[in-house]
Parts: sequence; C-alpha cells; structure tokens
Amino acid sequence: MNASLSDSFRKTIKKDFHQWLVAAPFVLPGLVLVAVFVIYPMIFTIRIALSEYQIVRGTITFLGLDNFVKIFSDSNGRFWYALRNNLLYGVVTTPLIVIMGMVLAYLVNNIRRGSTFFKVALYLPVITSWVIVSLVFTYMFNNSDRGLFNYLLVNVLHISKDYIPWLLREWPGNFAIWLMGVWKNVGWAMIIYLAALQGISPSLYEAASLDGAGIYAKFRHIVLPSLRPTTFFVLVNMVIGSFNVFIQVMLLTGGGPNGRTSVLQYMLYDEAFNKFEFGVASAIGMLSAIFIVALTVILNKTLKLDTVEDGGAGA
Amino acid sequence: MKKAGIKASEIAGQAMIWMLLLAALFVSSIPFIFMITNSFEEFSYVLPNPPRIFPTRLDFSAYEYIISRSDFPTAVKNSVINTFGTVGFAVFISMLSAYGFARIKFKGREVLFRIYLLTLMVPGFLNIIPQFVVLKSLAIPGFPDGLVGTRPGLMLIYIATGVCGHTFFLRNFFRNLPDALSESALIDGGGHGVIFFRIMLPLSTPAIGTMSIFAIQGMWEEYFTAKVIVGAQESMLTIPLLLQRLNGQHATRWEWVFACSLMALLPIVILFVVFHKKLVVGGLTSGSVKE
Repeated sequence: MNASLSDSFRKTIKKDFHQWLVAAPFVLPGLVLVAVFVIYPMIFTIRIALSEYQIVRGTITFLGLDNFVKIFSDSNGRFWYALRNNLLYGVVTTPLIVIMGMVLAYLVNNIRRGSTFFKVALYLPVITSWVIVSLVFTYMFNNSDRGLFNYLLVNVLHISKDYIPWLLREWPGNFAIWLMGVWKNVGWAMIIYLAALQGISPSLYEAASLDGAGIYAKFRHIVLPSLRPTTFFVLVNMVIGSFNVFIQVMLLTGGGPNGRTSVLQYMLYDEAFNKFEFGVASAIGMLSAIFIVALTVILNKTLKLDTVEDGGAGA
Repeated sequence: MKKAGIKASEIAGQAMIWMLLLAALFVSSIPFIFMITNSFEEFSYVLPNPPRIFPTRLDFSAYEYIISRSDFPTAVKNSVINTFGTVGFAVFISMLSAYGFARIKFKGREVLFRIYLLTLMVPGFLNIIPQFVVLKSLAIPGFPDGLVGTRPGLMLIYIATGVCGHTFFLRNFFRNLPDALSESALIDGGGHGVIFFRIMLPLSTPAIGTMSIFAIQGMWEEYFTAKVIVGAQESMLTIPLLLQRLNGQHATRWEWVFACSLMALLPIVILFVVFHKKLVVGGLTSGSVKE
C-alpha cells in the first residue's frame, strides 16, 4: 500500500479491520485449512498444467500450453473418447434416473402402508460405497459363464449365443458403467422427488378426485407440473455428476479397451498415478473443471434457476 | 386421506402400487442379494457355475475368516477414528465458518464465499498431488516425511476438503433462521459467541445431524485419499483399503470380499435406518454436486 493514504481511506481500513476481527474467530479456522489444502493446491495445479513436473526431483519446468497440445493431438484420441463418454453418460443415465426416480417417488407417496420401508430400501444403493458396488458389478458382469448377466443372456434367456466379454469391449463396457450409474442414483432422485411431492397441497388432489380424476390423470395434471423445479434440480445435478464419473470406470473397465470406456476423471487419474504425467493430468483436470463450470452456468441460465443458491436450503 | 369409503378401484390401485414397488425393489436388490448369497459360499478362487442368486447354504466361515485376520481390527479402528474425528472437526469448523458467512458482515465476504462455491465444482481429487506435496513439506520435528503417512496428515486433508461444502450447506440454513432471534440476543448485550452457542447451535441440530450423517457415510467409504496419503503405512490401513486388498489382482476369494463388504456396509445402513425420519432433505441436495 502507498504511504499517502487519505484520512477517509484510513478510516475504511480501520472499519474493515474491525469487522475482520469480529469475523475472524468464526471464519479463520476454516479459511486457513481451505487456503492451504484446497485453494493453494488448485493454483498449484494450474501451474503444473502449464509445466513439466517431476515429483521425485521436485522440479517444475514451464512449458506453456504443451500439455494441452499433447492432450488434443494424441493419436488415439483418448481425450475425445473420454469427453464423449462423459457426455454420453449424462445423456443416457439422466433421463432414466429422472423418470424412474419420479415414478418411484409417486408410487411410494401414494402407498397406504409400507412407504417408509420402500423409501429406505430403495435408498440403499445410494449409501452403498462405490468400491463395494463396483466389486459386485465386476462379478455380475464377469466375462465368462460365471457372470450373472452372461448366464441370464445365454443359458436362461438364450438371447445371445456367445458369452459377452462385458468389461473388455467398448459398448458393453459403457453399458455396464451406465447401468451402475442408474442403479446407484435412482434412489437419490426418488428422495428429492418425495420431498417435493409432500409439498404439494392435498386440496389439489381432493379437487381432482371430485372431478373424477384417476391416478394417471392426477399424475399428468397435478404432479408433473408441480415437479418442474425439482426436475430441473435433479437434471442439473445429474449432468454435472456425469463429469465426476470415476470409480466405476476405474474398477469396472479401467478405461479399456484403449480408452474407449474412459472418462475425463479416469484419464486424469491414469495420467497422474499410472504414467506419472502430472502436467498432462493437471491439464485434463483444468479442462474438466472448465466444462463443469460452463455447464453449470449454461444450465442455470437456460433453466432460469440458481441451483447453487437454493439447492442447499432445507426442505 | 379419507378412511371411509375405500372403493374397489382404490384397492386395485394399492395392489398395483405394491406390485410395481416390489418389482422395483427386487431389481434394485439384486446386487445385495448376490453379495449376501455368495458370502455364504466357499469358492477357493473359482466362481460357481451357474452363478447363484439365492443362497444354497448358511455358512459364516467367510465372516469368521475376515474377523480373524490380523489386519481387520486395525482397519476397523482406523476407519472409526478417521471417520468420527474428521466429521467432528469438519462439522464444528464449518459451523463456525457458516455462521461467519451468514451473520457477520465483513469486507470480501461475498467474494470469499464465491471462491468456496467454485472449489465445490472442481473435481476434488485433482488436488491430491499438491496436497501430498504440502503435507510432505510441513517440517515438524519427529516427522521426517512431513505429515505424509500419518493420521493427522490424512485428517487435515479430509477436514479441509469437507469445509467448503459443509459451510455452504449450513450458511443457507443459518441465513434462513429469523433475524429477530439474534437481534434480541444482541440487545441483551450478547456477542456473536453467545448467539452462536446459545441460539444457532440448538436451532440447527437437524441440519447439523443430517450433514454429519452424510459426512460419516462419505468418510467411511473414502478410498482414494487414504490410498495416496497413508497407503504405504500398514498401521494406517482402513476398511476400504482392506477391501481393495482382498480383491486380489488375479485371484479373488469373492466370499471374503462380500463378507467384508457387508460388514462394512452394515453400520451405515443402521445409521440411515435409525435416523432416516430426522434427515433434512436439503442435506441430500447439497451433497450431490460433488461425489
């Protein structure tokens, strides 16, 4: 700061300082931790993305945009496949999660007995750890006749003649990843929709009943319109979530064959922890962060809601 | 709901709902049924053919084996300490932060809060490399590797990465509490400390409880950070790391993996079954942006 501070400026500083003193005991402990272990690492990541980083020797050599060029010009097009798979994951799983979550919530909301049981039971996949779920799915999608899916398709239903090497092929592998995503997230959407359904005034239903509306008509004309904001919320979360897909790819397919089932986060992990290409990994991280932020902004603008502000408010 | 006049169509409707929900429940339960069934088997590294969905026998030797493993008590102990230690500290620090952001005016508050929000959108585990470097560079006497490979190191990262999300969720909650409450305390000469401990804390138990439960669930299953920070320390083994160890590279005793998975899952299921009525759904929505 300059030595020539005007008096009023000095006063403002003093007032700011006082406010800071009042806020410090509350904000500072968290801020120190966040600054050291979250914000500083993020800035460091940007630096690594523009450099070649040798973690053992601790040297950072500035490269400019070389890492990005490397990513975009890779002869296998790994980045583009990963990006495609992130987008496909969102496009395929989101509608299924929205529709199934909504329907299940509507059913649970209208059942006379046992709603609690169904609510908790259908929520179980959400609280089951990704590692555990991935292990079970690896087993169920086993490549031989010992996997559940192959056994059903070939031995029971006779749909396919040969056993499908699920986790070794591009589309079967992606299918397994999608299926797991849907299975894991439907319960979450259901709970969100249930909360919204319980907010619909009962008088609306009663009026509809008097008009002779059946269960379908009520769903079509009362429930669906009231759930619009919730649907947008679920949609935004699922689309953003599709850029955070990682563990199922790591444990199910390992991105194979040749990166065809990979996603950005897995590619990042692979570059950093298998190939020790931290610069490339950080550049991928930056790119996916840009995608996520851009998607959030676009979705919020087009759907005209501020999820970030309202999402966390208690229901 | 009207009790009187349950019509035939009503009964048919209920029957329909039951059928649909039972079908959905069956489909969504297949992986769990599969785990339970196969945890009673003995495979000796070979999968059964045909695959079994329903149990053929009730045998707990896989469970006995897991419990008798010498690394099992270590893993349980570490997972319990890490989970509760982290959630306790993270929630308390976040409550303080959230109160500061919601109720105290200071310069740069909005900018700082925006930064917190931004960190929530960035894939978190990208930070693991710099976090590792930071931990390593913390020169503390008696720790040649800094805090890498230690519980304090792991927990510092856990707590710090939890703070932004928790603060965001609780700030909204604190903001929605009526101003009149804290104003009356201010008039009575109470400072922010009094308001925080006497008014905000008691009023926000549902929100704090909800958040803690989701945080416990997340910490309990945390694999990646633990792998990188304490993976080389046998004494720091956690349950997810143990699970991954059981899932051998080429030969896996699936009954062990499933028995251990189910035991790892049980406390979380109990937690949600016991507390599900008290959960504030907003807690679900705030946690979902980031894995």
